Amino acid sequence: MTAGLAAATVAAADLSGRGGPGFLSPTGAEVAFVLIGLVVLGSALLVVTTSQIVHAALWLVVTLGGLAAEYLLLTAEFIAWVQVLIYIGAVVVLLLFGLMLTRAPIGRSTELDSLKRWPAVLVAVGATATLLTVVVDAFHSAYLDLGKTDDGSARVTGESLFRVWVLPFEVLSVLLLAALIGAIVLSRGRADADGKGR
Amino acid sequence: MTVVEVLVRLALVLAAFLVFPLVIGQTEHKVMGHMQARVGPIYAGAFHGWAQLVADGVKFAQKEDVVPAGADRRVFRLAPAIALIPYMVVLIAIPVGSGDLVGRSIDAGVFFVLAVMGVGVLGSLMGGWASANKFSLLGSLRTAAQLMAYELPMLLAGASVAMAAGTLSLTGILGQWEWWWLPWQAVGGVVFFTAGLAELQRPPFDMPVADSEIIFGAYTEYTGLRFALFLLAEYAGILVLCALTTVLFLGGWHGPWSDDLGWLWTLLKTGVLAFVVIWLRVSYPRLREDQLQKLAWTGLIPLALAQLVLTGVVRVAIA
Amino acid sequence: MSRIPGAGLAKGLAVTLKTMTKRSVTQGYPEVLPELPPRSRGVIALFEENCTVCMLCARECPDWCIYIDSHKEVVPAKEPGARDRTRNVLDRFAIDFALCMYCGICVEVCPFDALFWSPEFEYATDDIQALTHEKDTLREWMWTVPAPPPLDERAEEPKELAMARRNAAKLAKELEQEQPQGREPNGPASPGGDA
Repeated sequence: MTAGLAAATVAAADLSGRGGPGFLSPTGAEVAFVLIGLVVLGSALLVVTTSQIVHAALWLVVTLGGLAAEYLLLTAEFIAWVQVLIYIGAVVVLLLFGLMLTRAPIGRSTELDSLKRWPAVLVAVGATATLLTVVVDAFHSAYLDLGKTDDGSARVTGESLFRVWVLPFEVLSVLLLAALIGAIVLSRGRADADGKGR
Repeated sequence: MTVVEVLVRLALVLAAFLVFPLVIGQTEHKVMGHMQARVGPIYAGAFHGWAQLVADGVKFAQKEDVVPAGADRRVFRLAPAIALIPYMVVLIAIPVGSGDLVGRSIDAGVFFVLAVMGVGVLGSLMGGWASANKFSLLGSLRTAAQLMAYELPMLLAGASVAMAAGTLSLTGILGQWEWWWLPWQAVGGVVFFTAGLAELQRPPFDMPVADSEIIFGAYTEYTGLRFALFLLAEYAGILVLCALTTVLFLGGWHGPWSDDLGWLWTLLKTGVLAFVVIWLRVSYPRLREDQLQKLAWTGLIPLALAQLVLTGVVRVAIA
Repeated sequence: MSRIPGAGLAKGLAVTLKTMTKRSVTQGYPEVLPELPPRSRGVIALFEENCTVCMLCARECPDWCIYIDSHKEVVPAKEPGARDRTRNVLDRFAIDFALCMYCGICVEVCPFDALFWSPEFEYATDDIQALTHEKDTLREWMWTVPAPPPLDERAEEPKELAMARRNAAKLAKELEQEQPQGREPNGPASPGGDA
């Protein structure tokens, strides 16, 4: 899934980067973009193929960090740092915490490969194809002049988030609230059961 | 900015990164010594043991670099670098004086520094897991739990300052700073500093490296230079935390004659905060794991939220 | 205990800060020698002249770390017709400080005041054999033995001194009786008598 998303991002970025002027003479930023995109793609593939479970989490760090670098190259500074802060600083740490708390053997784990591999590949390819189609369709020949735009700055992001996209934003926060309450209910319920068990 | 200028700035940041942590470390040796009625290092370098850390560095460099047999070698070797480099990167964005006295002014500076600082903890996690040692793993777990608890109040306190200034840029925040922000943001400052201490695993929040229980936590299996890098990361972390608190809450280079001596004010305030870090280490015993979590979730986060409310109310009232 | 929250925390900080401003108690040992208390048990010194080779110390030593060799010497009679006398001569007196546990029983038990505690402590070596010190070294350490500490105020005079004084007074009286116009006896007033 992650690999699919990464691939989609890379492909979309390639298209948007090359769609405008300078198709045959890419700028330095565009070259860097493609190279980092390849790194992201490679590490994303490693996330799903490595047989060492903690290594998968660490490759995920590389993937997410690479994505942050891509955001930076697109001048979306704010999004990039939030990506690092939330995904690397919190989500991956939480992931590693969970892994270490349950089981994180050093070396290969054989039971990581399951028979559901082929359906998973199918889903990933399907998702990639869908995203590619949508993105290519949406940004067909759009070109972003990185030198002039400030579309990615914190001010522009904030304005579009709280003016144009405020309803989805609030709905998302309601979703998070629901998840939070659900977690509390689950943990409390178990504590009560434990209390009765004793 | 020309290439030469960029190189000079990077060289200066690197020099600060290499020198100041050692200065803090030496100060810690001496201050801790005197606070415990000792003298601290006294022989190395003849004058009050100033060269003690140089001697330590030479010693570390001579030691054998041991990787445990059952360890995950690649991750084990990579971990110290992951722990150290983020702090060096953060230093680039911290403004030292008025005007252009900063490695690189970054638009979303507050988020940049907090995000990159959070990455450093991955080093401890990787090292602890890869050591194939139960104490290291326990240390990592505690590190992760502590990070997750204290990242939130730190962010909220940082956000309060950003809200007050109406900008995310560190230089921008300092440009807006007025003296009355000191009392206004005082609670946020305390929360930020405390949470930062916890994130650095400095005493009294050093449960992840509690030597009486888990030897040295995630760093138990490390020797030689790699161990030294972890230690250097801790002191670089103190430098970054103190400099950041100075910039966000104590007005950075603001002060009398700040046009000429702004950088001195930054250094002075950072130094005083570093002293406080050492002072707290000497004075307080280690918090237990449950006390750590309780302090973060029931103490610091409500305080940070209250500070956010206060900031918002005052900001609206002014506007 | 404290009414104001955080008062204890502030107190802790105050204690450490106050300690920092005071002089540290560290002793700069190799440069500055420590001031050891009287009767410090550094090493056992031998006052060889007093030793009669009675072997009490060697026998009482709990871990048998004192080695004594001696032989008898015949002292010819001073007057004709008297019997020759024998005398013990000390050949070897050694203490193995690797074994010694510094209990001080030998010092206590010596009836002739030949063994003393010295505060000298800098005789560590890297060779355990070298910790067996022979009588010449032990005799050298005798020079480091401090004078006995002064007696407490109003303490009874040591028996040796009292005896010597009494003998001196008796002698002086005899002298005075032989020469009625002689000097006054100059025996000092007995200590503590006028208090």
